[in-house]
Amino acid sequence: MILVTGSALADEPALARRQVDFFEKKIRPVLVKHCYECHAAGAKKLRGGLRVDSREGLLAGGESGPAVVPRDVEESLLISALRHDEFEMPPKGKLSASVIADFEQWIRDGAVDPRRDVAKATKAKAIDIEAGRAHWAYQPIKAPAVPQVKNTSWPAGDVDRFILAKLEAKSLKPGAGAAKIVLVRRIYFDLIGLPPTPAQIDAFVRDESPLAYERLVDRLLASPRFGERWGRHWLDVVRFAESLTLRGFVFKQSWRYRDYVIESFNNDRPFDRFLTEQLAGDLLKSSSVKERRRNLIATTFLTLGNTNLEDQDKQQLEMDFVDEQLDVIGRGLLAQTITCARCHDHKFDPIPTRDYYALAGILKSVKALQHANVSKWVEVPLPTDGEAKRKLDVHQQTIARLTGRIAELKKQLGGAAKNASPRSPTIVAVKDLPGIVVDDAAARKVGEWTNSQSNKQYVGLGYTHDGAKGKGEKTISFLPKLPRDGRYEVRFAYSHGTNRAAKVPVTVFSADGEKTILVDERKAPPIAGLFISLGTFRFEVAGQSFVMVSNENTSRHVIADAVQFLPVDEVSKLAPKKTAKKKPTVVAKPENKNPMDKLAAKKELAAVQAELAKHRKAAPRRQMAMSVLEIGSGKDLKIHIRGSIKNLGDVVPRGVLQVATYGNAPKMPTDSSGRLELAQWIVDPHNPLTARVMVNRVWHWLIGAGLVRTVDNFGTTGEPPSHAELLDHLTSQFIKEGWSIKRLIRTMVLSRTYRLSSAGGVGKDDPENRLLSHANRRRMDAESLRDAMLSAAGTLKLRMGGPSFPANLASDYGFKHNQSRRSVYAPVFRNSLPELFEVFDFANPSMVTGRRNVSTVATQALFLMNHPFVRTQAQFTAERLLDETRNSEKSRIDSAYRLTLGRPPSSAEMALSEKFLQSVTNDTEEARSEAWTQLVQSLFSTIDFRYLR
Amino acid sequence: MSPLRGCVAQLQDAADFANRVSSLTLRVMMNVSQPHTDRMNQTSHFITRRESLRQTACGFGGLALAGLCADSAAAANSLAAKKPHLPAKAKRIIFLFMQGGPSHVDTFDYKPLLEKENGKKMPFDDARTIANSGKRGTSQRVMKSPWKFKQYGQSARWASDLFQNTAQHIDKLCFIHSMHTAGVAHGPATLFLHCGSTNFIRPSFGSWVTYGLGTENENLPGFISLCPSAGNGGPRNYGNAFLPSVYQGTAIGKAGTSVKGATIRNLKNTKLTRAQQRRQLELLQRLNAEQLGSAAGDTELEAVISSFELAWRMQNNVPDVLDLNKETKQTQAMYGIGEKATDNYGRQCLMARRLCEAGVRFIQVTYGDNSANPAWDQHSNLPKHEQHARAVDKPIAGLLQDLRQRGLLEDTIVWWSGEFGRTPYAQKNGTGRDHNPGGFTTWLAGGGLKPGFSFGATDPFGHKAVENKVHMHDLHATLLHLLGLDHLRLTYRYAGRDFRLTDVHGKIVSAIES
Repeated sequence: MILVTGSALADEPALARRQVDFFEKKIRPVLVKHCYECHAAGAKKLRGGLRVDSREGLLAGGESGPAVVPRDVEESLLISALRHDEFEMPPKGKLSASVIADFEQWIRDGAVDPRRDVAKATKAKAIDIEAGRAHWAYQPIKAPAVPQVKNTSWPAGDVDRFILAKLEAKSLKPGAGAAKIVLVRRIYFDLIGLPPTPAQIDAFVRDESPLAYERLVDRLLASPRFGERWGRHWLDVVRFAESLTLRGFVFKQSWRYRDYVIESFNNDRPFDRFLTEQLAGDLLKSSSVKERRRNLIATTFLTLGNTNLEDQDKQQLEMDFVDEQLDVIGRGLLAQTITCARCHDHKFDPIPTRDYYALAGILKSVKALQHANVSKWVEVPLPTDGEAKRKLDVHQQTIARLTGRIAELKKQLGGAAKNASPRSPTIVAVKDLPGIVVDDAAARKVGEWTNSQSNKQYVGLGYTHDGAKGKGEKTISFLPKLPRDGRYEVRFAYSHGTNRAAKVPVTVFSADGEKTILVDERKAPPIAGLFISLGTFRFEVAGQSFVMVSNENTSRHVIADAVQFLPVDEVSKLAPKKTAKKKPTVVAKPENKNPMDKLAAKKELAAVQAELAKHRKAAPRRQMAMSVLEIGSGKDLKIHIRGSIKNLGDVVPRGVLQVATYGNAPKMPTDSSGRLELAQWIVDPHNPLTARVMVNRVWHWLIGAGLVRTVDNFGTTGEPPSHAELLDHLTSQFIKEGWSIKRLIRTMVLSRTYRLSSAGGVGKDDPENRLLSHANRRRMDAESLRDAMLSAAGTLKLRMGGPSFPANLASDYGFKHNQSRRSVYAPVFRNSLPELFEVFDFANPSMVTGRRNVSTVATQALFLMNHPFVRTQAQFTAERLLDETRNSEKSRIDSAYRLTLGRPPSSAEMALSEKFLQSVTNDTEEARSEAWTQLVQSLFSTIDFRYLR
Repeated sequence: MSPLRGCVAQLQDAADFANRVSSLTLRVMMNVSQPHTDRMNQTSHFITRRESLRQTACGFGGLALAGLCADSAAAANSLAAKKPHLPAKAKRIIFLFMQGGPSHVDTFDYKPLLEKENGKKMPFDDARTIANSGKRGTSQRVMKSPWKFKQYGQSARWASDLFQNTAQHIDKLCFIHSMHTAGVAHGPATLFLHCGSTNFIRPSFGSWVTYGLGTENENLPGFISLCPSAGNGGPRNYGNAFLPSVYQGTAIGKAGTSVKGATIRNLKNTKLTRAQQRRQLELLQRLNAEQLGSAAGDTELEAVISSFELAWRMQNNVPDVLDLNKETKQTQAMYGIGEKATDNYGRQCLMARRLCEAGVRFIQVTYGDNSANPAWDQHSNLPKHEQHARAVDKPIAGLLQDLRQRGLLEDTIVWWSGEFGRTPYAQKNGTGRDHNPGGFTTWLAGGGLKPGFSFGATDPFGHKAVENKVHMHDLHATLLHLLGLDHLRLTYRYAGRDFRLTDVHGKIVSAIES
């Protein structure tokens, strides 16, 4: 014993020496040569927080975890990286197989490594939240003192004092005020998005009262058109859309959210309440059905992302979905680029990855998707009241009564009804069946299949079986020739029996992917003893549409007889086809003691079943809304290292952005996601971001540039405010006045600053007009442009709300937009926006857009020159002008300018227009109308039509 | 003054633009009879637009020359040609997109082992199964290719009977047999191919290229997508996302319909004669000059005015560029135009050549449709590949030959690819192959690429890329590099950070560069 031990002991140093030798010869040189550049103490930039220049470094690893786990090759990330599996290291090229084998050997032997850490293992520098608070946007909102100004007669209010003080500090003066005729056009478009009519212009210009403007502002704020204009601004921020890019799926319910937003602006719903409803409306108490509906609809906000629901990795998909929500909450509500912290601490702002996963945990605790090959968003039923509710109740009672009666009758009939069809020979020809039927004879077979007719119940020429052999090697595919795209009910025929397989995988390949149904072939097919329904699927003629039966993972016989595709919309028409009558049924022996009772029961059963079907079909449509579902608990997430779902770190308790939290952080409940707590934190008056962000947005929408021009980014990479005190002044007032958007707007537009003329041009001292010595000339957005043309033409329809596209629309591909309602009601389709929107810089409906692009491109000119919409509206406008009882050409021209540009023509414009009309008109009425159409179209294309001065 | 304009202003080099435009405009205009190309009129610099608009009496076409000094056009036009970061080996790309994922093991990646092991069940790490369930090593039935492979050309590279015509040009091609990408389903993988992201809203490749290089011809868009599919990302695949909208791809035609007669939207006025419209535009520009008033010299408003002039020129020039009747019968025949199977893709390819000649930077030529399971997506009926190959093979061969003959292949890259490849085993033991993002083949040809070359390899079954793997990010980086763009420097600041096509990835594959 002693000897043995002794020899083992004696061997140990030798073994250790050999292992160290191995390391020195085979491992260290490779590490030095290929890895130290980025993963050692002296690295210019240490990558991934990993150091491989010491044993400690390798064992501790980097951001992804330990690089080496002694004796466990598969768990050692270093090996996976060398193999170019999870990572690809070295990045310049894979090392040779023998080198990788050396590393595997080394780890298997215990990863002996004599190097000890000299420099302390570096730890990534943590973000200092407290220091981060120094940034202006995270500072508490203060109500600053209103500054003193020299020119005390100019300011109309405090806003002007803040503006003037800055101008005076630079020895600048505010420019002249805008002329009334300019101002009236500006305020109409800004507040309601429509041009003033010539009569409205005249009325305002003639109104000498000092209160004329204020009264006009109040009237416009009270107009239902206001919500349509300002609601649309909000829809930009929340990436509102009515379809997904993916396969053009349409959101049939998202219009409800659009209407909710419009209604909220019209009713001046306090902004804090407005946000709370959108984030957590479903969790709010409501005192009426109406309020409950509103609260549910508001949460559509969370569901509108343009996510790729087809992603096959559902875990990944869910995290991407959450990321999208965080992007909208972050940039839309807080002007914070939170999603930068998904893979690492934010590089510029004090947002650690922990905060990202604290927030993500809240949203991940909510069910927002139903998974399938192509996952689906969640829709919830809306409560109803009054007549709708009564109808629904009646319907439900009827259904309950009928299904109850059916159960009774079935029971009464005992086994008879159940056994009505089996074992009675039923052979149906393909041509006698409705829909598209593929018999097994026409199916494509892989592997050896045998035809049989021994069981006398089948479609066409017998059925096919696998002989209970060659399991996993055989498939049989039924490929129909479908006449058109659409939804079909798919039915599968098989002959049942006790020697059949219990779990036959039958896979339907449709436009929405594939779905496998396990059919128990021991049981009789429920439909006419022949078929079982596999469900309803959407097929595209050009796409995959077939059913495949496999014998994989089955025992006993797998049978396939036929597959039937029934167009769903025509089912009722097809149902009464004479299959039943044609059945060569051998009369079953009466098993009943009292055949007359049975007969009556059967008759009644058939009648009740028919009635049930009728009621089901005529069911009152349940109103639905896009929303999310609480799952009754809240779960904290683990940090996803480098954003990877496969690389998890510490658990982070759900929470909010630390840097924007003053006072106690919200307590997260265990029985719900914490969305309500999140909402309450967001609208807390002490949150330094939310109110500031919205006030700045409103300023941007009215003035043309925010006080902070990067309206969606208040982080350190955004711009600082031009007038920080003014922003805080307005913000604190906004909160004090109950988060009223209308009051905020009123304050802004009543300022003299807003009412300045845009003329005066660019000064050297302030080339970007940051100090607002004059108004910004602004490009009209797509909606205003379109609505203005429709207004001039007299064709604009002002009907509010409701769905924006037909309920039976299957996808948004190639949708034809041709409504004459206000632009806000045009369906926002991600694959097919109205062309005018696309061309004139409409907000990208997949992204948070606080500030739209302003581009000048030839496609805009081409649109105005050649698109039929412009020409048609010009023509209607021309007809209106020619209809007017005016006797002179001059007065007609005057009218044309007032209708389109909101002002009379200059003398030069008058002369040019007259000359043009003379040059192209002859006496015919047609030519006259044509000439006027062309004139109006030119006016639609002019600078003054496309800009707000 | 939007800050956007500040950004754009930095990106352009007005003088450079003027030089390039003058030479290139000539190139396009060779078969155009418009007498309005004297845009470098020296006196125009010294009179204001307003005056010139007032003084000129020679019609709209004439106005364009008087008013348009190159500087103001450049200020308005952020599409102006820009200097690349690095010396460029190619100037433009024609991307032949094979939508749906053609099978590499049935086209260009010859795997004799499939024949040998045909029908055998073996374990494979199937990408879809892994994504769905994490399960590795599921049993699959190996399926041989129904087509014969042959070696072609001096380079003796392999191609199957599906691409016999293209194979005649095999010595021009540079194969990458070790592609791999992200996304198992069409939607994610198609977006990844075009935009470098499976899910997020990102600018497409062509938008990045035009952002980086501008266009060589101001009468045409810089980025054109011929017959794009509405499916699997649709417009996002040629969208500008957060880049300025001027970099958006312009669609001509749409998948599933003939490209014959397709053109840029709103290019033609159906009601007015040319003379009528010219008179109307003259009125418009005079009114605009009036309204410009004291703001003369305001670049933003001048840009609006010049956009009409550019539109007018596009209207006059584009139909000529797209008019395939300008080509000889032989050329048309070379592309398979006039033959039923090849007519449509042949037209697309010939249009691509004409656009490329006219100075368009990035032309995508899609072979696909609008369904969720697009053209090459043979899950169940692999022999259908033949129909697709027949439609594209001859046109592609014609394109390669034509580009070579005209010397265009020197500085044009032809890029052939699907969004992924297909599995070497039968899907669910049926008759087709499933998606395979883990290994597939792409080929390139032309400017800066090694001809008759092949790089990387898949495993002996053709399932996974194993040797010299090239990720889609790497391919993007390499293509940009060939165009003289450094993928690390081609950035755009949005939402507080700099974005790149290659995100934080991408390695240039210098081995394929000549």
